[in-house]
Amino acid sequence: MSSPNWPRPRIGPDNEPFWEGCRRHSLMLPTCADCGKAHLPPGPVCPYCLSDRIIWKEATGQGRVTSWTIVHKAWFPAFRDDIPYNVVQIELDEGPRLTSSLVGLSGRKPEIGQRVEVVFDDVDDALTLHRFRVLP
Amino acid sequence: MKLNAAIVGIGNSSFGRGLPDSQLRLAATAFKNATADAGIERCDVDGLSIHLGWPIGVDYDRVAEAFGLEIRYVNQSWLHGRFVTNALQHAALAVCTGLANVIACVTAISFTRERGFLGGPGDIEGNREEGGTHGEAPPYGLTAPAGGAALAMQRYMHVFKATSEQLAAVPITLRQHAMLNPRAIMKEPLTLQAHQNARMVVDPLRLYDCCLISDGAVVVLVARSDRAKNMRQKPIRIAGMQGIRSGRDEFIFATRGLGINQQSGRASAPRDVDQEVFKSAGIERGDVQGFYTYDAFSPLVLFALERFGYCGAGEAASWVQRGRIALGGQLPVNTSGGLLSEAHVGGWNSICEMVRQLRGKAGPSQIADAAVLQWGTAWGDSVILTAGAGR
Repeated sequence: MSSPNWPRPRIGPDNEPFWEGCRRHSLMLPTCADCGKAHLPPGPVCPYCLSDRIIWKEATGQGRVTSWTIVHKAWFPAFRDDIPYNVVQIELDEGPRLTSSLVGLSGRKPEIGQRVEVVFDDVDDALTLHRFRVLP
Repeated sequence: MKLNAAIVGIGNSSFGRGLPDSQLRLAATAFKNATADAGIERCDVDGLSIHLGWPIGVDYDRVAEAFGLEIRYVNQSWLHGRFVTNALQHAALAVCTGLANVIACVTAISFTRERGFLGGPGDIEGNREEGGTHGEAPPYGLTAPAGGAALAMQRYMHVFKATSEQLAAVPITLRQHAMLNPRAIMKEPLTLQAHQNARMVVDPLRLYDCCLISDGAVVVLVARSDRAKNMRQKPIRIAGMQGIRSGRDEFIFATRGLGINQQSGRASAPRDVDQEVFKSAGIERGDVQGFYTYDAFSPLVLFALERFGYCGAGEAASWVQRGRIALGGQLPVNTSGGLLSEAHVGGWNSICEMVRQLRGKAGPSQIADAAVLQWGTAWGDSVILTAGAGR
């Protein structure tokens, strides 16, 4: 799956700790030190109380599928051999949602409501992606 | 400030796929047709509102330079289709405040030549930090606006038990409308079987749930209503409007609260603030005789109908059945065929159709005695157009 053509996330000051966490195989969530809520996508302030005091906490890594699609079109050369492939949205137990993909489906379609747990996929030295596996 | 603006002229280029013309040439044709339609000279145009800039569209400075215009007001959005309403609204506000006398709303698109921007490595919208507005996530292979429409429809189908067969009523109806329209690109009938047998693009969106990738230009001229009285055409009044919606409970291609990205997942009936366009226009929703929307993907029609309260949350998939959104039905939608079957000119092909309808010049597609029509999008903005001095 490693490829120099793999589409990269655009990393800036607000989301760097998130992607750095993935490289260490930790799913990190920006969390407000004042109101206690976690949020995604990573922002400079808490979207609930506008506090500047954001701390990064490791998530449980568990959640559930809230939507999904299967891509049948070869938009990216890097994904050509994977078609059709799934993309899912996961609602983490902490509340925020993120877009990822499920591993180990063996051709089955994702299902909304499935309980899932994070796994990490080292694409190459510079990039690790979070993915999720369905919990039994 | 009183909203006192009207559409005084419309013009278009030919619509097609793989047109050899530059966007600027397409725009020039539409511009000349629009000024001729309004009966004004190019020197009368002193403002520009550009829906899509370079590279898919044209930038204001090139338009002014190429057409020899003297411009004193400009509004320009980037390359996003979703700013169609915005471009028209800014034109209306600018003529009302005297920033310009006549504003040309210009949309000129060469999607076929520039299709590399529409998905894949060249999808610059998707390359924003944490992805694009439509949920694009390039590291996971989710790209192009279609991906976001698919995520939203998949969840909508799960929550409300809607089906792809129900969704098919949208492209099938709009194809019927296109078949009455000589400008439309798609002229073959579309059957449920053909819809269901077409290839899947992004599950659950099949080929005919996705709009045309086409080329073309439209120019719409906006002036203050009192100026419009001296022009050739019956002015079409911009009677009311409401702006784009944004926030954590919003997603560009979903109803409020559907549960995509950070939306709450608590879908509810529209609030007063979600439908202020009707009050702004001084009408009731029941006065609207035709509904026009940005149908880049079939689900967006369902979401728009629910946003403006034509049916309840989760009801649109069954509501659109049995000809209800067809010409002659309760609420005809996109009577020229829309982005799905006429052409994708950023929605302006439908704005032109609204003007033709309100002038009573829509030919075989004419809605009887059309006097009040609504433009409203899945992302919640809207403009109501009325014939004559108002009602």
